[in-house]
Amino acid sequence: MKPLIRRPHRSRRPFAALTAAAFCLAAAWPAAVAVAAESPAADEPVVFTVGLLNEPDSLNPFLGIEAESYEMWGLTYDYMISYKAEDMSPQPGLAESWETSDDGLTWTFHIREGVDWSDGEPLTAEDIAFTYNRILDGGPESASWISYLTSVDTITAPDERTVVLELSEPNAVLPLLPMPILPEHVWSKLSEKDVKSYANEPPNVVGSGPFRMVEGAAGGSTFRFEANPDYWKGAPHVDEVVFRVFQAEDPAIQALKKGEIDFVENISGNQVDALEKEDGITAIMGDSPGFDEIAFNTGSVDLETEQPIGDPNPAVLDPKFRYALGFAIDREAIRDRVYQGAGITGSTIVPPAYPTYHWEPPEDVAFSFDPDRAGQLLDEAGYEMGPDGTRTMPDGSPIGELRLLARADSETSVDVIQFFSEWLADIGIESKVQAVESSKLTNLILEGEFDAFEWGWYVEPDPDSMLSYMTCGQRGNWSDSWYCNEEYDALYLEQHSATDQAARSEAVKRMQEILYLDAPYLVTMYSSIGEAWRSDRFEGFVPQPNPGGIMLVQYGVDNYLNVKPVAGKDTSSSNTNGALIGGAVAGGIALAAVAGALLFRKRDRATADDRE
Amino acid sequence: MNQLGTRYVLGKVAGSLGSLAFMLVVNFFLFRVLPGDPVRTLARNRLVSQQQIDELTRTLGLDQSLPQQFLTYLQNTFTGELGLSFRYRQPVADLILDRLWPTLVLVGTGTLLATMIGLWIGVRSAWNRGSRFDKVSTGSSLTVYAMPEWWLGLMLLAVFSVGVGPLPGIFPTGGLISPGVDPTSLEGVLDQAWHLALPVLTVTLAYLADFSLIMRSSLLDEMGADYLMTARAKGLRDTRVRREHAVPNALLPSVTLVALNLGFVVAGAITIETVFSIPGLGLLTTEALEVPDFPLLQGTFLVFSAAVIAANLVANLLYAVIDPRVRS
Repeated sequence: MKPLIRRPHRSRRPFAALTAAAFCLAAAWPAAVAVAAESPAADEPVVFTVGLLNEPDSLNPFLGIEAESYEMWGLTYDYMISYKAEDMSPQPGLAESWETSDDGLTWTFHIREGVDWSDGEPLTAEDIAFTYNRILDGGPESASWISYLTSVDTITAPDERTVVLELSEPNAVLPLLPMPILPEHVWSKLSEKDVKSYANEPPNVVGSGPFRMVEGAAGGSTFRFEANPDYWKGAPHVDEVVFRVFQAEDPAIQALKKGEIDFVENISGNQVDALEKEDGITAIMGDSPGFDEIAFNTGSVDLETEQPIGDPNPAVLDPKFRYALGFAIDREAIRDRVYQGAGITGSTIVPPAYPTYHWEPPEDVAFSFDPDRAGQLLDEAGYEMGPDGTRTMPDGSPIGELRLLARADSETSVDVIQFFSEWLADIGIESKVQAVESSKLTNLILEGEFDAFEWGWYVEPDPDSMLSYMTCGQRGNWSDSWYCNEEYDALYLEQHSATDQAARSEAVKRMQEILYLDAPYLVTMYSSIGEAWRSDRFEGFVPQPNPGGIMLVQYGVDNYLNVKPVAGKDTSSSNTNGALIGGAVAGGIALAAVAGALLFRKRDRATADDRE
Repeated sequence: MNQLGTRYVLGKVAGSLGSLAFMLVVNFFLFRVLPGDPVRTLARNRLVSQQQIDELTRTLGLDQSLPQQFLTYLQNTFTGELGLSFRYRQPVADLILDRLWPTLVLVGTGTLLATMIGLWIGVRSAWNRGSRFDKVSTGSSLTVYAMPEWWLGLMLLAVFSVGVGPLPGIFPTGGLISPGVDPTSLEGVLDQAWHLALPVLTVTLAYLADFSLIMRSSLLDEMGADYLMTARAKGLRDTRVRREHAVPNALLPSVTLVALNLGFVVAGAITIETVFSIPGLGLLTTEALEVPDFPLLQGTFLVFSAAVIAANLVANLLYAVIDPRVRS
């Protein structure tokens, strides 16, 4: 049944309410804009705001693992040894100089004088020995850092300016010691159990670094640091560094365009392309020391019985087969079509950013996109083309389908594996692509139930850890290709305890050569990372590696000391007047709501009366 | 009657407690079925020896057997101890409390506004079915309803934060508060209102249609009822017929919807929290899933399930109040 009384069609009410709302907003808007546009006072602090797309996990250096956490410790603390921006080789930090004994078993570091903690206490060699010993003694403190102290027996501070490390056997990774130095007078009060959940957040942070953390908490979205005017390398050129965590890329890009943030870190190639056209913004794809690879199951075994586990295709167990596939990959197509043209095509597991250790394959063995050569190598190895257009095993049985796994959470991973599958089809090898979650892929790798997958690694300035992942001892642990080669392992030990740099580089290069020819990994690309910043407001960044590298989240935090405002530009925080604007706008909306409600009520009564 | 009411209330409360206990048990086993090993995730891509892995396993308490872990979990939960997060290494209760209020404020305010405006629109358009107001409001409700939340959020962000053409953006692009502002001061409160304005608007618009469409259709159902004819025959004003006779009866389905929605308030809005970079519970949960961070997941899901169960309980009790049939 229809209502008995119908209302007049043209109700003016919404219009009246809208007018009221519009009026109030109109009143609030110019006020808000005027406040926002107000020019900053001369003593306004210079704030450098960085947008992050991932948040730091813990500000306690013994607990955190995210790159963003490392960045914040770098601002808060000092290191005994730091990294040169250009090639990431060791350079003096808190240690002004160091020497080693001829047998490589004693390392002596001479510590800088006149460095103070933020609470005024002097920083001495004892703080350094305390920090390292805390790690050496095991417990939760050792979880992140103990590997840097391999074969170190004792760490002592014979006087306030000297730190001595005694080793049981030479360790070529030294003097690389990338642990933040903590104040003994604060941390010695914390037991092993306390450290396990110690937040190390403001206002209780005591550091010696170029900045002081004044605001922020693990898992939070804003982190604020104030410059340390007395820093021993010289005061920073900015008064504050603020990190803002964005959970999605688009809003971060919008914030950069608007000028709410000055730098955005780790963005995609598409965004870099789009931002390059913007005035006042510089966007780059910077080389980053890491690589992506297609990895094979080279022989998964039960580590106790050495019996095979999992079900790798027998073909991928053969180094000759894997090497041949290296010629089926069009790395340039991968760069242009998957990585938006950014980055360098890959060859070995030590990136060219580390020229001391990188081995460049000579022309006669180096991979190029050459399906004919791939086919020829496969023929020679016995994998001949069968009558149905697919290749067979040397014994004539079919190879079957290779299972190629991609990480479902990475678009590039899925794309690369799909290309790879097509290129394999071109040379007569069937394959099936499957995209799985990273965590699931890890399980499949440990169970040996795969033929090939796509993933990548970051490589530290010292390649030791990367090289170790390919040793027999890392199978079932960090090795994801199940690679095991005695000659390689012997070379690993040789370089690890080498005391002569040239001999070590030689061994490291030979190791890369072995891996290249055995091909547990087919390195596809060296990584690149997208970054963009307001070059109309800030300048002075030095890339790492130089040239071609990234500007922030480097090894070391030099660029926070290098960055300075462009002369004569407004670099004050655009948030200063936020509350005023907020007040004006919120007030305007509230007024609009009240006005609207009043109008509605009035009209309601009026019509009700009218109708009777 | 009164006794029946008490029994009804007690029955519902006991049922809710039972569901909660069941969820407690499910929560523990649910996350342990997830693929992925927290220790491996936490140690990924670093130089790590077996010794370090063992140390991490011990620190996280994963060296104990599963039944033992389960007992510890039950014991801890009943003593109000939710454990330490694997990822943040902070007490789970602290993390949840920190993240709870932004979500509550965001989705709470948004749902409240959406309910009020939605019900109002629903009543009005049903009562004037076929009017221009009805056509415009139903059409636009459906349009907004069809937009994905994140897209709507991004559009609002592009227009009101970044600015279009000559109009400058007047809202921040995300976050909860400006750096260096004390959240408890007047300035801090205004600053947070400023930061939350767009996200709340997004939530409001996104949920508006749910309420207006339900209210509209249930009121339309009632409008054919004989008691309305009686009311009108008594000579009551149209407004009174609507307010006192039609709407209270049509409100029943909406109450269920509102109560259920409030239950999902804490869990919802993950996408909106993502677009506006608001550190809320939804984001905390998605981050915890990546590890997987068992204690944190157990904690957040305990809160989520408690919220849904509590909201159901409230809906049931409210039913008893507004619908006498339920009690008898």
